[in-house]
Amino acid sequence: MVFTDAMRAIARKELSDKLKSRWVLVIAAGFALFTLVISYFGGATSGVAGFRSMDATIASLTSLVTYFIPILALTLGGGIIADERDKGTLEIYLAAPVSVAELIAGKFIGLAIALILSTLAGLGVSGIVLLTETGMSAVSSYLIFMLNSTILGIIFLSVSFVVSILITERARVIAFMVFLWLFFTILYDLGLIGVLIITKGAIGEEIFSGLLMLNPVDVYRILNFLSIGELKVFLGLAAVELPAYMKMPVLWTISLLWVVLPLIMSYHFFKRRYLA
Amino acid sequence: MSSMLELCDISKNFGDIKAVEAVSLKVNEGEMLGLVGPNGSGKSTLLKIMLGISKPSSGRIVLNNWELTEKDWRQFRKQIGYMPERVSFYDNLTGRETLELFARVKGGSPANAIELLKKVGLENTVDRKVGGFSKGMRQRLNLGQALTNDPDFLVLDEPTSGLDPVGTKEFYKILSDVRERKNLTVVLSSHILAEIEDKIDRVAVMKAGSISAVGSLEELYSGLNLPMRLHILIKDRDTEVEELLRREGATDINYKDSRLTASISRADKVRILSAIMERKESLDDISLREPNLEEVFFGIH
Repeated sequence: MVFTDAMRAIARKELSDKLKSRWVLVIAAGFALFTLVISYFGGATSGVAGFRSMDATIASLTSLVTYFIPILALTLGGGIIADERDKGTLEIYLAAPVSVAELIAGKFIGLAIALILSTLAGLGVSGIVLLTETGMSAVSSYLIFMLNSTILGIIFLSVSFVVSILITERARVIAFMVFLWLFFTILYDLGLIGVLIITKGAIGEEIFSGLLMLNPVDVYRILNFLSIGELKVFLGLAAVELPAYMKMPVLWTISLLWVVLPLIMSYHFFKRRYLA
Repeated sequence: MSSMLELCDISKNFGDIKAVEAVSLKVNEGEMLGLVGPNGSGKSTLLKIMLGISKPSSGRIVLNNWELTEKDWRQFRKQIGYMPERVSFYDNLTGRETLELFARVKGGSPANAIELLKKVGLENTVDRKVGGFSKGMRQRLNLGQALTNDPDFLVLDEPTSGLDPVGTKEFYKILSDVRERKNLTVVLSSHILAEIEDKIDRVAVMKAGSISAVGSLEELYSGLNLPMRLHILIKDRDTEVEELLRREGATDINYKDSRLTASISRADKVRILSAIMERKESLDDISLREPNLEEVFFGIH
């Protein structure tokens, strides 16, 4: 599908909304502030405050991002269709010579650009400070961390579109978004640990690693720890090894699927719900 | 007049609920067709079927003698301007930005946004945010967005819903000006019958998902043979006039505050008026009122 005029107009409107409302600026500033604070005080539990090595900093920032970005992306896209319906503008789009794919893609691209801008600006500013303090040797690790964080945001933005189409009542959208956030950031891993305990570790590594891939937050964590060579920090609790084929390109492909599949679902759910 | 759009035996079910049932309706090129009926009669669903937003459970939609397929709808929509019942638009966009957005989405020219704002009487709000617009201004902007792709076919769903009488009058004046410049085919739904009866060429009356009657107002009037209402202002109460009316076949005769009213059939009109005029020295004024569309509507119901 080519980037049509209609898609461009819809995307531009979504991006312009976020820029005008200073959403991008506020989120970028928040990112920069939080990452710098976490980076500086990340080792405070051991009695030392100050910037540590970039690898240790990325490990700390990964924890921050796994909580911060998913909720941000979910709330960004969660009300996107409900808003249009409430405003009455959805019917205008439906009666226009624009396809469902163009409508969804236009909205997604606009919001994704807003999210990418704020994430890259926020992490970029703090990255410059961190690299100045810790040296340029870890610049590639930090750039990969920024890329992974951006992808995580886009994944949850994609998931939020499905919710936005399936649930149209704003209060229920918010409640379901909070549940999804809790599920992916906390409950899913708790459940996995519970399964390991109940089965006394009998669950195979293949199955365990496969289950990890079903949670984009875990995929993100593994990607970051792989890039800094600290995978044991993440997997130590589970005492399992990842299969050898599970390298970064494979994980990025899985991340891409996490973006594409919810969008395809959104397309089908939208057609069934609004064009039946 | 050739038919532009034809709905053939269209039905639409939502589960067990029959929202539209076996509707056949022609929309002629260049006409203004009123779709009237009470809330829940299926008007909005029928409009959505006309726009391709809602797929009929059964029946065919024919455009210029060509049955529309899934692919044809996109092409047809380039000619359609749709004004949904209530649109609040985006508070943070200006009037111009709003029309530019919908022009781009609908394949129109964003450069015409200011001209369109002038056309709908919003020339002073070009750079004003929609968040500060009144209801009437939003409805005019709604009409503006419906015109952004220079449509041939305009579908208006309860366009004056929520507007005060002044706003309603202004709205129809703008619509009339637009139609003077371009031969638009318009389908207009409303449950405020009196509001549209002098603006439409034909009317389709909907009741419980079906079309109860369709035709010009004259056709509906003569077909139903509804009585006309005679109003006589008399100097002093003259029971002979009342007796004369009764004798000539008038019904529902009432007298109050020097005003005598009666219902007379269309066929008796000339004869009764001639008889009354023989007693013109006792009359101050006389008028004969056609039944309005509302009476036709309720007559059908």
